[in-house]
Amino acid sequence: MKINKIIVSFISAAVILLSTSVVSFAKVVGDKIVLGAAISLTGKYSSNGVHTQNGYNMAVDRINSMGGVKVGGKTYKFDIIYYDDESNPKRAAQLAERLISQDGVEFMLGPYSSGLTKAIAPVTEKYGVPMVEANGASRSLFTKGYKYLFAVLAPANLYLDVAIDLAVEKNNGKPVTVAMAFEQDAFSQDVRLGVLEAIERTGSKKVIDDKLPKELNDMAATLVKVKQMKPDVLVVSGHTKGALTAVRQISEMKVDVPMLAMTHCDAAKLSKQHGKNSQYALCASQWHKTLTYKDNFFKDGMTYDADFTKEFGYAPPYQAAESSAALLVFKDAFERANSFDQKKVRDALAATNMQTFYGNIKFAEGGQNVDKPMVLFQVMCDDGGKCENKVVAPTKWASAKLIHPIPSWSQR
Amino acid sequence: MNKNNLILYIGILTFGIAAPFLFPAFKVQLSILCVLIILATTWNIQGGEMGYNSFGNILFYGLGMYLCASVQVGMFFPLAEWTESGGEKTFVHTPAQFFQGMAVGLLVAAVVPTIVAGLIGYSILGLRGHYFAICTLGLGVAAGEISGGIEIIGAGQGFTTPPFPDVGNLESRGEFFYFLSFIVLILTFIAVRGIYSTRFKLILNAIRDNEDKAEAMGIQTMKYKIVGWMISAFFCGLAGGIMGGLVGYIDSTDVAFDGREMGVFMVLMAILGGKGTLWGPIIGATVFHIFKEGFWTFFLGWQYVALGVLIVVIVIYFPEGIMGWLREKYPERFGEVVDEKDRKAQVELK
Repeated sequence: MKINKIIVSFISAAVILLSTSVVSFAKVVGDKIVLGAAISLTGKYSSNGVHTQNGYNMAVDRINSMGGVKVGGKTYKFDIIYYDDESNPKRAAQLAERLISQDGVEFMLGPYSSGLTKAIAPVTEKYGVPMVEANGASRSLFTKGYKYLFAVLAPANLYLDVAIDLAVEKNNGKPVTVAMAFEQDAFSQDVRLGVLEAIERTGSKKVIDDKLPKELNDMAATLVKVKQMKPDVLVVSGHTKGALTAVRQISEMKVDVPMLAMTHCDAAKLSKQHGKNSQYALCASQWHKTLTYKDNFFKDGMTYDADFTKEFGYAPPYQAAESSAALLVFKDAFERANSFDQKKVRDALAATNMQTFYGNIKFAEGGQNVDKPMVLFQVMCDDGGKCENKVVAPTKWASAKLIHPIPSWSQR
Repeated sequence: MNKNNLILYIGILTFGIAAPFLFPAFKVQLSILCVLIILATTWNIQGGEMGYNSFGNILFYGLGMYLCASVQVGMFFPLAEWTESGGEKTFVHTPAQFFQGMAVGLLVAAVVPTIVAGLIGYSILGLRGHYFAICTLGLGVAAGEISGGIEIIGAGQGFTTPPFPDVGNLESRGEFFYFLSFIVLILTFIAVRGIYSTRFKLILNAIRDNEDKAEAMGIQTMKYKIVGWMISAFFCGLAGGIMGGLVGYIDSTDVAFDGREMGVFMVLMAILGGKGTLWGPIIGATVFHIFKEGFWTFFLGWQYVALGVLIVVIVIYFPEGIMGWLREKYPERFGEVVDEKDRKAQVELK
């Protein structure tokens, strides 16, 4: 039975490989503060994963070049270890474990999407690793009593409920009929809950309530129903692909609906990809470049927009902006804690109260940012076919007036 | 069992027990390796020994995952409220509840998929070849979409499994799941090894080689095919239950009925190691896992490209898998008697 020898040699080879792959990083090496992040570089969230990564990198470069982080009289620079989570929660949880137990990371940045954040949060919580995340908006993240999770963004249920209120307002305060189509994932389902609450509050009626598959490439069946039912509002949420699919098929099928409310329009570069076809789409956004928040690193939204475009070749969607903000929050917390003790940093994070170019940041007990309202923008095109996103609500920030109802396709 | 074998088994067992202490940082990866080996080994019963390329074993894995977690929660708390609240913290399992729930959950996670395999096996194991493969592919996809619409298990929101209770230290969770998966792996190995030494395996091979002939010989092939699938389902369900607890978050299509990853990986690992052998899937899973983890670290963003190249290399140079290649290269080590004259004659013929 010589076969045993072969097997034994295989196993020993495996062991050797395993042991040589142990590369150890410490959380703070020399003058570096090493943060860990699992990012969707491949898979269904890859485009948003890249926005997130670019946002992180942009802030790291900026903070490092502007003097870094001062802790205990010494200056440190940020560094990030990235892994690809392949848009898969299972993988994300593994990577979090790996970042913490193998790479020795003591501070984490969030992944993209609520589902992945949900998978990672129990791990960071278990090890007491403070995580500032910028892309997990699902409300259920903030109801679990997590102590080490901080989100710089407003929860998902606040994304599109304003749109329903707006539609009711435009309908002279009378209830409206709503058609809903949401992807089956943690984030979109939470947006749905927010919309449902708004429907109930305003006495409106839902006429369609469809669940769409992940990797949303076709929603023709829903749109056929929309054509028949003629609702006042059509709400669609399904990350980048959802926004692209909705606009593509609505324009192909010439679906007329007075109000089209969506998420992820800017991440999908909707106005660029679909031009005039995307006109009048109403989009929920965590941030917009015209908002007048300010900080010392990126100055303001317009400057951030210009700098980001210069560096990465496209206008920053809010996913990038909020990711950059996460680093600013970390820097601020480290300096206030004046220590790298995880508990102290955690307490400093909890006490955060600051303004960044992205908005005010102040965390509630559950970890969500309560100091920054959502905005709604509408895609507006000029006669030359150049489209722009303009903020239409809330009124405080509005730079244009909402166009309602959307003109029918025969008149466009 | 001869002496060499005994040494090998004791060696592996010792390594398995010592591994989490030797490589404390790798506990999660080691647990996943155990799960992967279980999946590859049980897939091999269909794909390797019986010649039925099943893409449907992921169904039992996902079913086991949801069942184990649901039972673990449902035994002590209202399941609907648990998922409504996003699980965790609102209701907290005591250590006793956690482990009791896990035990009962795993039992259910093993038994129910076995029954399901029996029922659906009766209807679809009549299909052969590509038809069977396509049909089972549909099973996994359908299960993912259906479970994604069931509110009580979280639907699109996902299901947070009960967090590990506050016992022991930070390492306890990893150790618990590692040893759990390692024990199930040993059970799987013993069971499969036992099966492979009986007439049952020969019948499966007969089905693979020529099903009509096997039937003509008076073998009730349907019965054996179903039993074979039920055995796979039993261990796949267990593996799923463990994986659910280990990951901590179940998503219908990405974690549970993950046909695109786990469903394909189990086939790939068995083929890589050499299907139709006892050790092939085990070696295949180990090599695959190490490669994949390595690529993840050193070829960030390119890991699937590298994996693709690996698959191409395997298909071209090792079509019979690692074990098959070794067997061809060193037949005498596999206990095959090689007649030198015969070999030379063959070479000359070529």
